[in-house]
Amino acid sequence: MRGIIHRLRGGLIPLIALIVVLAVLPIAGAPRSWLLYLLLFFLYLAMANMWNLLCGYSGLISLCQPAFIGLAGYTLVIWAWHGLPIYLGMALGAIVAALFALLISIPVFRLSGIYFAIGTLVVPEALRYMFLLWRPIGGSIHGGGAGYVLKGASDFSTAGVYWLGLGIAVASALCLRLVLRSRLGLGLAAIRDNDRTAGSSGINVFRLKLYSFVISAIITGLAGAIFYIYQSYVEPNSAFSVRWTMILILAAVMGGMGTEGGPIIGTVIVVFLHFLLARYAGISLIIQGTLLVIIMLLVPEGITGFIRKTRTYRYLLQLATMRAN
Amino acid sequence: MTLQFLVDLSGPLVMGILLGGLYALIALGLSLVFGVMKLINVAHGDLVILGTYFGFFGMTGEIFGHRLTFLGIDPIVSLVVGMPLLFAIGFAIQKYLLSRAVQISMEAPLIIAFGISLIVQNACQRLWTPYSRGLTTSYALDSFNVGVFNIPLVYLLDFAGALVVMLFLREFLRRTYLGKAISAASQDRGAAQLMGINTGRVYAYAFAIAMATAAIAGVFLGLTFPFTPTSGVSFLIIAFGVIIIGGLGSMLGTFLGGMILGLAQTMGGHVLNELGLPGAATGQYLILYIIVLVVLAVRPQGLFGR
Repeated sequence: MRGIIHRLRGGLIPLIALIVVLAVLPIAGAPRSWLLYLLLFFLYLAMANMWNLLCGYSGLISLCQPAFIGLAGYTLVIWAWHGLPIYLGMALGAIVAALFALLISIPVFRLSGIYFAIGTLVVPEALRYMFLLWRPIGGSIHGGGAGYVLKGASDFSTAGVYWLGLGIAVASALCLRLVLRSRLGLGLAAIRDNDRTAGSSGINVFRLKLYSFVISAIITGLAGAIFYIYQSYVEPNSAFSVRWTMILILAAVMGGMGTEGGPIIGTVIVVFLHFLLARYAGISLIIQGTLLVIIMLLVPEGITGFIRKTRTYRYLLQLATMRAN
Repeated sequence: MTLQFLVDLSGPLVMGILLGGLYALIALGLSLVFGVMKLINVAHGDLVILGTYFGFFGMTGEIFGHRLTFLGIDPIVSLVVGMPLLFAIGFAIQKYLLSRAVQISMEAPLIIAFGISLIVQNACQRLWTPYSRGLTTSYALDSFNVGVFNIPLVYLLDFAGALVVMLFLREFLRRTYLGKAISAASQDRGAAQLMGINTGRVYAYAFAIAMATAAIAGVFLGLTFPFTPTSGVSFLIIAFGVIIIGGLGSMLGTFLGGMILGLAQTMGGHVLNELGLPGAATGQYLILYIIVLVVLAVRPQGLFGR
């Protein structure tokens, strides 16, 4: 236990203070729209952290995150439809996402790099068609015949969902930190840099990649389930949509892949963009796509990477270390 | 009874082969770009759909909700403008975006192509609304009988178009200077450069040619299926399946891969129909994707790959 706490150390106090402030916001009577934007921030952050774990630290460009989100959402809805408790449904959704990650790892882990990316792109699309066909719950046809309302979602207050979201965001950040500071993280970094060298140094490449893939499936699934508690309605075309992938990539790339702080900054920007572009919904994808292209070309290391390179940051860092000495 | 069964089966068989032509046509550009630059262009599907919408614009004159009545060109004729247009777009994308991206990191071109795909999707949505459209020409519903088969004209056009484009590309790569330069750059970039080939420019031409084939594929796609601005992803995945099955980068393999996927789809749909299952139209696509995943699992190098 002490080992775990030791691994998590570093910059915790301001973080805890921030979490406490965020947690009391609903009690303090913050407006509902704020809470909803913050909720989106938490959920995207959890998902972006997990994408960062895959792409930034394990070299797996996964485009199948919507599969985990949608599967968890559907599991939750089907579970709740039978009158079973929603919390259990959330956990079950994460388990289903993890099992599914194991299942698709058989075909897609035979591919690497760009092939892996395209192989994973097929998965959500196949699931989308499957859920358009499959009627897991008889009756109550809604929206194209394959969409379902989440029963019992009204029991959740906005504050309740908000806290769940905050929980998953914190959990994802801690999980990322824990993974990175363990042997698993070292192994993953070695694989990302050169998987052949890693393999010949005695790292089980397949197993480590699988671990990070399953971990990301669990947390992405949980975040997806919470999203569907908030939305209280699930439908195949949006559940398995490429838009999820776009949000995650945008958040991770803008903030800076392969850094712990990157996704946080990136997600703040993404949610802020949502807020700004709400009025220009018609062209929001054009703007986001253009941003993605420009940032990738001009500052491929993202905002965090960019800041780290600037002189002011180095100066400040120098000051900080001097004082520490 | 057996005879009747065979006759029933021959319909989807012929349709599958012809439909395979369309799939191969869509995949040819993806295959060329992959073969030359080792790059999977995730925006390919959306650029094909852009070609479709250009044909739609030429035919109906509809743009931004207005209708320019002086237009009314047959979609196939409109390719005279559509192909150079996509050629130019492709050239620009490769020259200004992707060629820089490959120097940054392995995932940069993929992410940039993803960004382009979003931009194109959204632009099509703005220009031509998100509703489902179709290129309903006067001959779109024509069909003719050959023996016991009833063949829709557009399916035959798809197949003929694919055959022509495939043969043209093959001969182009073998006989012309630019084609040989493209082949050389794809085999060994460094050696090609030492032989005095401007590989950067050759790549841009290869991408541009791929986009010109995408324009052709787009028009035939529009003649065959209804489309929306977001249809690109489905066709990208089909095209990817085609080149996976055919072996990456080979023109003939791509053509055969198209046939196999086309057959799998129509035969699958036929079987689902015979079994009386609901949703055969959606189910046949599901079969397609599952085949792609199974091939990835069993033979990632493709059926015809080494």
